[in-house]
Amino acid sequence: MRFDNIIIGGGLSGLIAAVVSQRAGKKTAIISAGQSALHFWSGSFEFLGNIDGNMVIDHPLMEAERLPDSHPYKKIGIPHTAELLSKVAPLLQEAGIKVKGSLERNHYRLTPMGFLKPAWLTLDEYFMADHPSQIEGKKYAIVNIAGYIDFYPNFLRNGLDKHGASCTISAIDIPQLAPLRKSTTEMRATNMSRFLRNDAVDSLAKEINMASRGADEAIVPAVLGMFSDEPVRRLRNQIDRPVNFIATTPASVPGVRCQLSLRDYFIRLGGTFIPGDTVKKGVFDGQRLKRVYTVNFGDMPIEADNFVICTGSFFGHGLIANIDRIYEPIFGLDLNETGDRTKWYDKDFFSPQPYMGTGVTTDSEFRPSLNGHTIENLYATGALLAGFNALKEGSGAGITLATALHAASKICS
Amino acid sequence: MENTPRKEYDVIIIGGGATGAGTARDCALRGLKTILAERLDFTAGATGRNHGLLHSGARYAHTDPESASECIKENIILKRIARHCVEETSGLFVTLPEDDLNYQDALVNDCFKAGIHVDVLDPKEAVKIEPAVNPDIIGAVKVPDGSIDPFRLTTANVLDARMHGADIITYHEVIGFEKSGNSITGVRLRNHHNGEETVIHGKVTINAAGIWGHHIAKLAGVNINMYPAKGALLIFGHRVNNMVLNRCRKPGDADILVPADTISIIGTTSTRIPFDEIDHMEVTPEEVDLLLREGEKLSPALAYTRVLRAYAGVRPLVADDSDPTGRSISRGIVCLDHAKRDGLEGFITITGGKLITYRLMAEEATNLACKKLNINKPCETAEIPLPGSEPDSKDEERRAHIIELSTEQKAAEGRHGSWTGKIESRSDSDDALVCECEQVSVAEVNYAINELHVHNLINLRRRTRLGMGTCQGELCACRGAGLLDKHDNCSDRSLKDLASFMEERWHGMYPVCWGETLCEVQFTSWLYQGVMGLGDSHL
Repeated sequence: MRFDNIIIGGGLSGLIAAVVSQRAGKKTAIISAGQSALHFWSGSFEFLGNIDGNMVIDHPLMEAERLPDSHPYKKIGIPHTAELLSKVAPLLQEAGIKVKGSLERNHYRLTPMGFLKPAWLTLDEYFMADHPSQIEGKKYAIVNIAGYIDFYPNFLRNGLDKHGASCTISAIDIPQLAPLRKSTTEMRATNMSRFLRNDAVDSLAKEINMASRGADEAIVPAVLGMFSDEPVRRLRNQIDRPVNFIATTPASVPGVRCQLSLRDYFIRLGGTFIPGDTVKKGVFDGQRLKRVYTVNFGDMPIEADNFVICTGSFFGHGLIANIDRIYEPIFGLDLNETGDRTKWYDKDFFSPQPYMGTGVTTDSEFRPSLNGHTIENLYATGALLAGFNALKEGSGAGITLATALHAASKICS
Repeated sequence: MENTPRKEYDVIIIGGGATGAGTARDCALRGLKTILAERLDFTAGATGRNHGLLHSGARYAHTDPESASECIKENIILKRIARHCVEETSGLFVTLPEDDLNYQDALVNDCFKAGIHVDVLDPKEAVKIEPAVNPDIIGAVKVPDGSIDPFRLTTANVLDARMHGADIITYHEVIGFEKSGNSITGVRLRNHHNGEETVIHGKVTINAAGIWGHHIAKLAGVNINMYPAKGALLIFGHRVNNMVLNRCRKPGDADILVPADTISIIGTTSTRIPFDEIDHMEVTPEEVDLLLREGEKLSPALAYTRVLRAYAGVRPLVADDSDPTGRSISRGIVCLDHAKRDGLEGFITITGGKLITYRLMAEEATNLACKKLNINKPCETAEIPLPGSEPDSKDEERRAHIIELSTEQKAAEGRHGSWTGKIESRSDSDDALVCECEQVSVAEVNYAINELHVHNLINLRRRTRLGMGTCQGELCACRGAGLLDKHDNCSDRSLKDLASFMEERWHGMYPVCWGETLCEVQFTSWLYQGVMGLGDSHL
């Protein structure tokens, strides 16, 4: 099989790079094992949320200048990063994903535990506030679905009350959810979303309307719309006040929706999506990667001019740690870390963990190397990259998207 | 569900491990007005951090035949009175090619002398009945080992004590003693929930605080030479072996692999540590490497089994009073009458021993207390089954019916035995699973919160196994926190407790932070710190 560009990894990074590549007229394929961090999404993308222990709200681009030169944002250059990232919202819009926000200033999202955290772009249906003062004096009705234990009204109320709001808590039920209750493990977000369609949405709307009477806004768990946002729109149209959603513990229904939307957009553009497959090895000619072999295609090679590897960090198995070394499992790419496992972690769970910064080292064009030799036509993006702690910085999505768009521009020229 | 302490007791018991709980049970069964005070939570000490091995005694048959006889007697008693806490797995003592096969003959002989029934097997037969064992073994002896769950065991003792009138209080630490002349008349307690101090009076006080009993004795004005001996162990992600596997050689490090429920535990080590480390122990990389290396000799499959977590417990080694140098360690149970030993009336220390001789230790301490109180009642703890282990006249019917039970009902029965019926499930919502790895329902969580002295997630974990499965709290801890908060109604405290719980889980995971454990931990961090926003100090 032959393509112009092959994207290894079907997460946010891979999908965005692939969409841009296919849109530019390049015959593009994604090889994906199947998982994506989007399935556990908070509902927001972060550019930069925290620097030197301080929360970033105003002037995130200016604050980003303070990052070390080795940081992906600085390698690309802050102005160029801003330019690349300005393409994200319109691109998502084309895939049917509506987000709100700006690079000029972070807004706040409300976490499931009632904390306010900075965000760059947030999915349209989620709760967001430009400033905590917007919460002061507001009356919120926090409405849960009875028996759903992955949503925490008490913690949400606790957080909102601290900013001067007043909240009521209630739980509602609709008969269409009765089949789910029969099993002990079925009241989970993804299952509920399958039942909350059509007339069930109308029943839900009626209940939420009643439960939120007298409030300025209703706050509900994000369990609607795994395959499209139609149930969300249908619900909101029938409720007399704004309804905003809060992320739930895994899986994220809007996150799955987002990933499927991007995948379907890629396929609509003519892209080839190869799911449930893993690249086993690559064959090189000098410093160029010529072709790859996958588990499912066996000895049938897949060739391309350019490759992008976005296989994620440990959790996505983009990186693997044995008891005595860390390695990149597909090509054995050079990493910034190998041996001493006592240096991979900090004993305090909430402190920055060194392993978060482990990853593939790259040149100024984000091309990785094998035994010190740069691979000319391979680009690495996203969480697989070395040298930053995206969790502590609040930069996961920004790095994923900036490096993906950067790599896409390289493989499309 | 904690009573306000009455003013005057017959017996005050300090320490909520197996020994303290067992003593409270024995005292209460003999009609003594009893109170048990535990500074943290039940099983917070060595009881919650040992190997969970129901010894046959074979391991001690050569070096300490008296201990061995004690062990096998208690082994048989516990199989009867603590049925729902025990798994009768049997065990094997296996000889590897590099070990001396003569040791096996000596072992068999010594077991016979100690009253432990053993069978010598053809090694090939042993490999057949236990496929996980090293196939190269040159000798195998089958012994009546088993595994025992110390959490269930202690909870059952506490429940029985309470049912027979004992008061039980946790998070109350002894900070001093009340004396009258040369007699202990009571203890001063600090309540760790609110800092309040109270005094309770009792005619006899029993120090059952394990290694912390050294400090308790000092507070009372007596000295016991104790030495903390740390033991490290590793828990594997699934149950690799079905029978306990022992190395047939002179007892050494890491030569026992115990199956327990859904996992296997390799242990242990023995290192003297200073007293200031007993509350902050860490498992070192060297200990991890040793446990894995030796464990793989017993069962090669361990080399590619996920290591779930590492933990350490501390044994109270007691210096033999008869040795003036203070360096010779007492074997077996140590029961000290401080009146005879130190001229201090009304004070007893019960220490040393092992998990499975807890009942005998409790019996000795209670006998001594009764003597001081002039009470003549016999000990019945070896005859009366613990709550949850009562024989079921409908056993046959129940066993047939068990196939129809859901996995979560079976899991709950495994934990609470015949007392599972006390878990009230009033609706489908109550049946919903909070912890999917260990199959813990909303109803069971509520039961534990209401009936089993649960104040926080760590207590909840000990009583129900929530967070002990392969996800190590990743998916269930926040659900547990949400349910606890409904009872507690203090969200700030509940969220702090959730953060503490995740820190405690991490403490056992970072020593084995590679492979799938590292994957899960990274995911957990993104979920709890990223999505949830926990641990951001400025928020």
